[in-house]
Amino acid sequence: MSRVSHLKPSTALSQDKITRLRDRATQFKKVRAFFDQRNVLEVDCPILSSEASVDAHIDLITAYYQGQHPYYLHSSPEYGMKRLLAEGIGDIYQLSHVFRDGEHSLKHNPEFMMAEWYRLNFTLEQLIEETLHFMHLFLGPLPHRLVSYRETFLTYTGLDYVHTSEEALFQYIKEHNISYYESIIEDGKDALLNLILGSQIEPLLGQRELYVLAYYPSTQAALARQQQRGEETVAERYEVYYQGIELANGYHELTDASEQAQRFKESNLQRLALGKQILPPDQRFLKALEKGLPDCSGVAVGFDRLMMLRQQQQEIANVLTWGWQEI
Amino acid sequence: MVQQISTGDVRGGAKVEVEGQPYTVVSNEFVKPGKGQAFNRIKMKHLMNGRVVEKTFKSGEKLDLADVSESEMRMLYKEPDGIVLMDEKTFEQLKIPFDSLGDTLQWLLDDHLYDVIFYNGAPVSVEPPTFIEMVITETSPGARGDTASGRVLKPAILESGAKIQVPIFVEQGEKVKVDTRTGEYVSRVSS
Repeated sequence: MSRVSHLKPSTALSQDKITRLRDRATQFKKVRAFFDQRNVLEVDCPILSSEASVDAHIDLITAYYQGQHPYYLHSSPEYGMKRLLAEGIGDIYQLSHVFRDGEHSLKHNPEFMMAEWYRLNFTLEQLIEETLHFMHLFLGPLPHRLVSYRETFLTYTGLDYVHTSEEALFQYIKEHNISYYESIIEDGKDALLNLILGSQIEPLLGQRELYVLAYYPSTQAALARQQQRGEETVAERYEVYYQGIELANGYHELTDASEQAQRFKESNLQRLALGKQILPPDQRFLKALEKGLPDCSGVAVGFDRLMMLRQQQQEIANVLTWGWQEI
Repeated sequence: MVQQISTGDVRGGAKVEVEGQPYTVVSNEFVKPGKGQAFNRIKMKHLMNGRVVEKTFKSGEKLDLADVSESEMRMLYKEPDGIVLMDEKTFEQLKIPFDSLGDTLQWLLDDHLYDVIFYNGAPVSVEPPTFIEMVITETSPGARGDTASGRVLKPAILESGAKIQVPIFVEQGEKVKVDTRTGEYVSRVSS
């Protein structure tokens, strides 16, 4: 299959598209005014880095300097921003394009616009509130609901994930005719939860309100701190959904360097198990954590998704100057 | 060595082989909840029986490409149990039994061009061109027909045997253009 055959023929931008691009430009101004009012500083950390963010399920696009030295295009400006935080820069935000290999669908573009920000001494709940205010800028004053991951799972599937075995989850998948891939059983509990979430729950979240899904299982913490909630250890992490579309992912940030190094190792082991290349963990980022990241919470918002909802577009390509098949 | 394709590169129209069966991909949906393992839901149509199935793959998994090729061939004549076609370039002839023709049966006519699909080197199906021009061999003269769709139609039979609906002003013996995907009348063809 030749690559060229996937490309759409070049056409002139429609008048509707130009109207949407004008609206987009106006929204950028709103973003900057929002953070200016709150004294959050705009930064623009580099897109390229010689070492990588290591995440089992995020694949990076590599660029080659002078045709031979690999540099990774960032999947989020997180590491650069955290290095700045460790230097004592204070509250910061970055509005930049980020890159993810292989993530292409009606709702995903491998290159997309992210708004990411960090707030010192903010609890997870404070940042959730600010994230909702941010979204109101583009979507209007929508009501919201904050529900834990555990409660959400219980409501939509009747399963209490804490006390449900892998076998029982697999049984649920088969009983509900959820199409699954063969190796899912070997991939463990999180993969099973993930398939159920993606098939039975996510598409239904936030039909009429912004749905804040919070307190994830501790095994899905990524760069979030952990917290004990009764018998359950949870990650201080949340996502925001509207009309089944995931819009944001926020954490009360992990500041422990050795725990972070340990999670990198685990992510690389997971990558190996998935048949992916392991990646060199960003040592400068780890050094910054050793130096000391201040207590903070941070969130990344998919800006193009907000535009899809604002401009009532089903395809992400419609809100971009050109989508993946038009470049 | 079987050629493979990554889930991320699978597009509508790709020919893949899953569990030993050949399929044409209809659609490919990428799903990635939060920060978890992404997966692809691929809808595909069986190359021979036309059944559509949906399968889930872990993103990044590789699928086997099916050894499928197409060539344009001219139908020479019908035999009692099948049709004989000829490759326009090599003049090679081959015979395809009626059983493997499915819906295409109604669009078969001598001296017309068809796409023949080969799987692992053997012909497995015959596709008519999207638009075909044929003479109406049977229709009633200008009778009142079905007015439900706002257009006045009547039944007609084409020289290939296909039964279609045509506007009442179209007469027997006229040549018409038909969309073979839907079996719908498109226009009259002036000769």
